[in-house]
Amino acid sequence: MMKKKPVEENMKKLFWVPLMLAFVVGTTATAWAAPDIGPLPTIKYDKKKAALGKRLFYDPKLSGDAAISCASCHIAGKGFAEGVDLGKAYPGTKHFRNAPTLINTAQKKKAGIPWFWDGRIGTNLNDVTRNEIVETIVLNMDMRIMQERLKQQPDYVKMFKDVGFSEPSNGAVRKLIPEFLKSLQSKNVPFDQGKLSKSAKKGMKLFKGKANCIACHNGSMFSDGKAHILGVAENPKIFKDPLRHVTMKASNKFLGVQNQHNLRFDVGAHSVSKMADGSDYRSFMTPTLRELRDTAPYMHNGMLASLDDVINFYNNGGGIDPNKDRALKKLGLTKSEKGNLKAFLLSLSGDKLTGSKYVVSKKEIMNMMQPYKAIPNWHNTKN
Amino acid sequence: MKYTKLLFSLLIAFGLTMPLAAQAKSLGVGDPDDDAPIAALDMSKLSNPADNITTPEKAELGMLLYFDPRLGGDASVSCATCHNPKDGWAFGDSICRGYPGTVHWRNCQTVVNTGFYKKLFWAGSTPSLESQVFSAANGGVAGNGERDVMEARLEMIPEYVKRFKQVFGRPLPQIQDFARAVAAFERTLNDPNTPFDQYMRGDKKAMTKAAKRGMGLFNGKANCIECHNGHFFTDEKYYNIGVGAPPEFTESGMQQISFRFEIFAKGTKEKDYRTLKDDPGAYYRGKDPAMKGKWRTPTLRYLTFTPPYFHNGTAYTLEEVVDFYNNGGGENHFTKTAGNKTKILKKLGLSDGEKGDLVAFLESLTSKVQVRNDLVQSNPTLPSYAPLANDKYTVLPPSAKVPFYHYPNGKKAAFVSISVAGK
Repeated sequence: MMKKKPVEENMKKLFWVPLMLAFVVGTTATAWAAPDIGPLPTIKYDKKKAALGKRLFYDPKLSGDAAISCASCHIAGKGFAEGVDLGKAYPGTKHFRNAPTLINTAQKKKAGIPWFWDGRIGTNLNDVTRNEIVETIVLNMDMRIMQERLKQQPDYVKMFKDVGFSEPSNGAVRKLIPEFLKSLQSKNVPFDQGKLSKSAKKGMKLFKGKANCIACHNGSMFSDGKAHILGVAENPKIFKDPLRHVTMKASNKFLGVQNQHNLRFDVGAHSVSKMADGSDYRSFMTPTLRELRDTAPYMHNGMLASLDDVINFYNNGGGIDPNKDRALKKLGLTKSEKGNLKAFLLSLSGDKLTGSKYVVSKKEIMNMMQPYKAIPNWHNTKN
Repeated sequence: MKYTKLLFSLLIAFGLTMPLAAQAKSLGVGDPDDDAPIAALDMSKLSNPADNITTPEKAELGMLLYFDPRLGGDASVSCATCHNPKDGWAFGDSICRGYPGTVHWRNCQTVVNTGFYKKLFWAGSTPSLESQVFSAANGGVAGNGERDVMEARLEMIPEYVKRFKQVFGRPLPQIQDFARAVAAFERTLNDPNTPFDQYMRGDKKAMTKAAKRGMGLFNGKANCIECHNGHFFTDEKYYNIGVGAPPEFTESGMQQISFRFEIFAKGTKEKDYRTLKDDPGAYYRGKDPAMKGKWRTPTLRYLTFTPPYFHNGTAYTLEEVVDFYNNGGGENHFTKTAGNKTKILKKLGLSDGEKGDLVAFLESLTSKVQVRNDLVQSNPTLPSYAPLANDKYTVLPPSAKVPFYHYPNGKKAAFVSISVAGK
C-alpha cells in the first residue's frame, strides 16, 4: 500500500527535506561550520611604497591641526594598538572605543572581516585610510589641505616621484598607507611555525573543544568576521567624561542611531544592522586573536585588563546581556586548563614589529617636522 | 489744447531722454545703477529673517556660542579668535590666522554691521549670516568643525541645553539653531551713531570741518560714492580694482599651501590650478572668466577699528587706501589677463590736504568707542560640560530585568540596573 502512495505526496515530503536541513544547519552553524584555524598566507607588497607609507603613517601633517598622526593611537611597541582602554582621538575629543591592532590587518580582505568594531566599513584599505584621515574624531583632516601640505615639502615631492606618482596627492596617500599596512605582518609566530609548547598544544585542544573559542575565532585570522553580543560591561569612563560621551554621541548621530541622547551603552554593530527591536545592541565584530600579547587591554572598550581576565570572562559564560550570544556557556575550566589556553593564545603572537621598517628614525622625524618653506620663484613655478 | 500738447511733448521728451541719460552715465563709468546718496545708517534695513527673528535671549545665547571654542574642530578656536572684539571684531593682520596648523588666505572682515549685507564674504558667496556661520565653522582653514561633533558637544553642556530649549523650543540643541543664534547675536553688533550718522540726523557739529570737506570729495571729485553708496556705503556689486597679490603668497610656505588648497577646493580647472598665483575672488560664484579678480564692494563703516584693508590686507592705513585710489587703482594678474579692471577708477589728482580731508571723512564713519565695549574688555564666562544624568535609559524589551552596568569581576558598577523598560 505504501508503494502506491501518489507521487505528489512523496514530492511534498521531499520538499521539506532541504528546509529542515537548512534549519539544522542554521541552528548549529557556529558549532560545526567553523573553518579551522591555520597559518596566515603571506601578502605581497611594494617595499618602496610601504617605506613612504610608513613615513605618512607617522606624519602629523595628516591631521587637521597637525598635532597627531596614525601612530599616535597605533603604537608599534603596543602591537600597533594603543595600550589603553579607550583611544585618545582628535584633540578636543576623546574616543569611546579601544584602538585595535593594525598588524595583519591587510589579511581581513581575504578573510572577509569588515573594519572597525562595528564592521561599518568593508575591507578595502583605501577606504579605511580615507575614513580615518577625514573622520572628525580621528584625524579630522580635509585631504585637500593634506595634499597641499605634502606638496609644499620638497623631500615628499621627490619621494612620491620615486615610487611612481607624479606628485603628492590625496589618491596617492590612500594607496601608500595601505601598502605600509600590508607590511605589518606577523613574524615568527610559534603557532604558524608549528612550534607549540606542550601546554599550548593542550590549549589548542581546549580552544577547539571544551572552551569552543573556535566558534567565533576561526580561520587563519581567528575571526569569523561577524558581530556577537558577549555582555562586556560598559566602560563607565564614557559616561563620566563628557569628552568621551561626545564622540559616542557624534558617532551615533553620524551613523543614524535612534535615541542617541538616552543611550548609556555602546550600540556596537547596531549602527550597521539597525534591528528595530534593538536585539543587535552591544554586538561587536569578532577581533583577531593574533598579536594579542602586546595589545592589552582587551575588548571593544578595553574593559578586560589582561588575558587572565579574558579567560575568566569566557569561563563564566561571558557577561550579562538579555541578548547574549547563545554560544557562550560556562566552561568549567580548571586552573591548569586556563593556563594552557593562555599559553596557546600567547603562541599566536610573533616578533615585535619595532624595527626601522616599522618605526620612523630620528632623522625621518626631523625631516618630517621641518617648517614649510616658500617655493622659490613661486610666480614662475607650476603649482 | 496748446498747453496740453506742449505738456505731452515735454513728457514724451522727458520719458525718452531720462533712460538714455542714465544709460549714458552708466556706460561712461561702468556702473549701470544710479548711486543712492549716502545717509545715516537705516536700522529698519537690518536683516531680521522671518525664520530667525532676533530676540534678546537668542542674541545672548549666540554671544556665548560666538566665544565658545568647542564649536570648532579641536576646540581651540572660536568665532572670536579671528573676529576678535579687540581687533574691531576682525583680525588685526593682513591675512587671517586660520585654523591651527593652517593659515587662511584672505583678510578677516569685521562682523560689526554685517546684518546689513546681502552678500557676505569678500566674494559675496553667502546670502545670510546663518549660512555664513557654517562656512566659517566647518571650513578646513577656518573652524574645521563637523556638525555632528559640534552638536554632540552642545548636548553635553547643560547650560546650553537649557538655553537652546528656551530660545528654540526643541528638547535638545540642534546645530542649525547654533547658526541661528550666532547670526542673531551678530545682528546686534551695529554702529549706528557715528559722527557721520549724528551729522546726517541733524547734529551739524558732530563732524569736523575736515570731515565735511572730505564728504564733498567723497561725493564729488574722488567719486567714492560710485560704489560705496547708500546708508551702508556699498552697492554690493563686483569690481576688479586692481589690488595686487599679497607678499605672503610668495614669502610663506604655509600661505602657499592654503592658496593651492583654496583654488583646488573651490573647483578650478587643472590649467588654472597649475598656473594661478592670485586669488580670483568672485570668479568662483559663476565661473565666468570675466569675474576673475572681482570682489564685492565692502562697506566703509567701522573702518577705523579694522585695518589692514582690502581682501588680502595689502593696505595698512587709510592713507594708503586713499593713495591707491588717487592713483586710479592698481594692476593685478587679472586686470592684465582678463582685462577687467573697472573703468570707474581714474587718477583723482587729490592734493595732500584733500587726502587728509577724505581720511577724516572716512574716520567719521566709525564711533569713537567700539561696539559692545564690554565684550572688548573681557570675554564672557562659558558654561561647562557635565556628564549626563544616568537616570535615563533606553527602551529595552520588558524581559531586560538585569543589572546592566557591571564589572566582570562581579562588582556592581556605579550605574543602576534596569528594572522597567522604557522608563
